[in-house]
Amino acid sequence: MTALLELRDKIKEIYARNEVLIKPLIKFLIAFVVLVSVNSELGYMSKINNIAIVLIASLMCSFLPSGCIILFASLFSVLHMYAVSVEVALFGLVIYLLMFLLFFRFSPKDSLVVVLTPLLAFLKIPYVMPIAMGLLGTPASAVSVGCGVIIYFLMAGVKSSVPAIRAMNAEDITSKLRLIVDSLLQNKAMVVMVIAFAITVIVVYLVRRMSIDYSWTIAMVTGAILDLLILLVGDLIYDTNLSVLSAILGSIVALLIAKVIEFFRFCVDHSRTERVQFEDDEYYYYVKAVPKMTVAAPTKTVKRINTKRGGDEYYGRSSGGSRNAQTARNAGSARRSVTISEDDYEDYEDYDEDEELF
Amino acid sequence: MINEERVILMTKLASYEEHEGRRNMKIINYFRSDYIALQVLKSIFSATIAFAMLFALYVFYKFEDFMQDIYKMDLISFAKSVLTYYGITVLVYGLISYFICAYKYSKARRSLKTYQQNLKKLHSLYGER
Repeated sequence: MTALLELRDKIKEIYARNEVLIKPLIKFLIAFVVLVSVNSELGYMSKINNIAIVLIASLMCSFLPSGCIILFASLFSVLHMYAVSVEVALFGLVIYLLMFLLFFRFSPKDSLVVVLTPLLAFLKIPYVMPIAMGLLGTPASAVSVGCGVIIYFLMAGVKSSVPAIRAMNAEDITSKLRLIVDSLLQNKAMVVMVIAFAITVIVVYLVRRMSIDYSWTIAMVTGAILDLLILLVGDLIYDTNLSVLSAILGSIVALLIAKVIEFFRFCVDHSRTERVQFEDDEYYYYVKAVPKMTVAAPTKTVKRINTKRGGDEYYGRSSGGSRNAQTARNAGSARRSVTISEDDYEDYEDYDEDEELF
Repeated sequence: MINEERVILMTKLASYEEHEGRRNMKIINYFRSDYIALQVLKSIFSATIAFAMLFALYVFYKFEDFMQDIYKMDLISFAKSVLTYYGITVLVYGLISYFICAYKYSKARRSLKTYQQNLKKLHSLYGER
């Protein structure tokens, strides 16, 4: 376990020190995977079904705010729908605009969730999302997970209706629209999944916040079982053609991923190197504040104290005891301090109260 | 001499100003009622556009039925029911945004209160010289 904790802290340290490079890289990778999967799922417009265009769009996403990934993904999917027929594109556009107008005004941060949910659904593991958002987000994330599920079913609906739409005449505008609207609105599997995921997010969030031991683990297991139960009951009532085996396997994978998220949760929340500038009457300060590691690497040093007095030898771990680090802790900043004297950090041991879980 | 305690406090404050603080200060620049009213107005505007889009889609979806019944149907009662649905949509969405904005405003105020307390603490640290 200690080796794992050290590995985690190494990763955190690397992330904290190279955040400027890693963050755009992660955004680039997410945008690339999302756009490639949109192209592979829909891919009706050959002009944008091109790796060069995907690369250019992903590069743009890497330095633009994370909300731009969903903008590009929705633009790509609407263009693909346009290649099928104008009516389908119109319906897709209305769905995206409704989400932007009504929902993203209030939680622009959750836009990544809306992109990742359909992506995971294409990979057959959408069950990760409600558990992960219950653990990391707020109950409001239920809406963004729901929007993600709707987008997945919209794309799946378009994909399944394409042969029928292409067989219709150009004048059958209303029939085309009816076909695509019905494929979404009368899809009971979508309704069941939206309800199951929304309840899971809220229950996981509520259990996670309880002041009980292992609340995170209990929350994720409860969430996975509840999710599975609602999906199964929904399947029994509405006959949603749910593949029970894939749902169970997906839930197990979701639990494993949730466990990894639990392990790295501080990376998600707190590891951020701050570079700030300020001044007072005497100085200009250019401060780089590096998040403090929670487990020190085992740099055990043997100290000989009072060797002259009768040869008493004390062996112990160097506590570092840097005054700087102590001051930072006293200031209520358990994981962040100022790099005035970085030398002392390696030996300083600072267990966060949450660490007791491990 | 550089005072470590001061630097740590100033770093925390500067980091807050750069991220969360900037957003909160934008909110707090308004009076509570002005902020909420503006946001609710924006919500009503969004809800109106959303409703118009949905209505257009509905008409498009039922285009053939409308064309058949256009001379038979009671247009006034149809308009009344559409307006009722519009009113309900705007009212519900407006209420939801009212509660969200009120929550956001009180959260921003609480957060800035802590920031101001820290500023006072910093001021007193400079006063000790």
